[in-house]
This record gives sequence, C-alpha cells and structure tokens, in this order.
Amino acid sequence: MTHVILTLTRVEAAHLTNLVGQFQELVTEPVGDPALERLTPDVYPDDAEASSEFRQVTRADLLGRRAHDAATVSNDLSRVEDAGVADALSPVDVSIADLEPWLRTLSALRLVLAGRLGIADGAEHEEDDPAYGLYEWLGYRLEGLVQVAEQDAS
Amino acid sequence: MALAEPEIVEDLSVAPAVPWQTVVWDDPVNLMSYVVRVFREYFGFGHDAATARMLEVHRDGHAVVAEGAREQMELHAQAMHDYGLWATVRKAPQ
Repeated sequence: MTHVILTLTRVEAAHLTNLVGQFQELVTEPVGDPALERLTPDVYPDDAEASSEFRQVTRADLLGRRAHDAATVSNDLSRVEDAGVADALSPVDVSIADLEPWLRTLSALRLVLAGRLGIADGAEHEEDDPAYGLYEWLGYRLEGLVQVAEQDAS
Repeated sequence: MALAEPEIVEDLSVAPAVPWQTVVWDDPVNLMSYVVRVFREYFGFGHDAATARMLEVHRDGHAVVAEGAREQMELHAQAMHDYGLWATVRKAPQ
C-alpha cells in the first residue's frame, strides 16, 4: 500500500473535515434522508419487494462500511492542526495511508451534494448555487486522487 | 474495510443455466476516471477492458459487468454500491 500525501490549502482541509463530519452523521443516524436512497439504490428496479428485502438485509452493513470509510478520512484530516485565518491559503499536507476510503467517501459526498442540487435527476441546477462550487471542487480533488491511484496500479 | 474477494465469471461458458447479471447504469455524477478505477480495482479488469466497459456504460446507458449465480451478482451489486456506482441485478435476457 502506497502512502500518499495530499496537499490542500488549510481552508480546504477545514471544509472537507466539516463535510465528512456531516456525512458521518448522515450514515450513522440515517433518518429518512433522500440522499441515502442514492447510496443504497434498488437492486431490483422492477421488483419493489425483492429490492426492499435486499435493502433490509444489506443496508445497515453498507452504511456501516460508509461510516468506517468516513472515520478513516476524518482521522487522516484530524492530524492537520488548526491555524488562524491568516493561514487559510497556506498549504498543508494530509498523509493518507489508504486511498480507497478517500475515493469512496469523496464520491459519496458528491452523490449526496448532487442529490441536493438536483443533478442526479438530470434536472436543471443553479450554477450559482454555492453548493455547486463545492460539488465541482470535490470532483477536482477526487480526480487528482484517482490519478494517483491509477499511477500506483500501473 | 472487508470486501469479499470478487469471484469473476469471465468465461460465460461456465455460467449457470439461467444466469443472472450485475448491471451498472450511467449516472451524471460519477467521474469517468473513477468508474474505470472501480472496475479495475474490484473486477481486476485491465486498463483497456475497464475503460471499454466504462464507455459502454456512458454510451449505452448501462453495461453488464458480471454474469453468474444470483447471490454472486447481489454481492457484486453491493460492492458497486459501496463505491457509489448505480448497480442492479437482473436475470439474463433469454
């Protein structure tokens, strides 16, 4: 397993920590949030009963794995020490021992945001919605990590 | 993170008489590069095969990524959900 150093600005690290924290709440206390539907989709689209049965058996485990991934990411981020506003744009290195939880969590965050923005339904979304910038930024950071993972693999 | 080792049915001739399929569907959110990565990591496809499968999903709206016993296909679908891909299970069209 290759160790990866992800360089973020401090303000990015703070945002990411916050988002991952919210995501941890979402998956550990799932309370009928529509965002969860996309994380545990119907496995039998034409058979509601079989889908619901499958979900009953597997959902808790799946969300448990999500929570575990998010905790790993959160833990990696927690080693970034706090800094003042003056240092918001200064770079900080996040040490990542295992990329997989990062890839899965950043993807899941994008799915959740996309649901909130209406992107998942192909509906028109407001590009000036501040959440859209967050979504795009997560995509940029995820793309960077995928490239690193692919270099490792080849 | 304990993911079951995927058992990939690549040789369709050994698939059961009435095979089931794991199907991955196109979605507007997941990055193409990420989908390729998932196919490589989980199914062990080479880069070209993974890219071809991803493009199939993108172009046709879906692609069959595995075929075999129903339980196995459910495991694959669950693994795809772990990665945030939109996967379903169906009986192979006769």
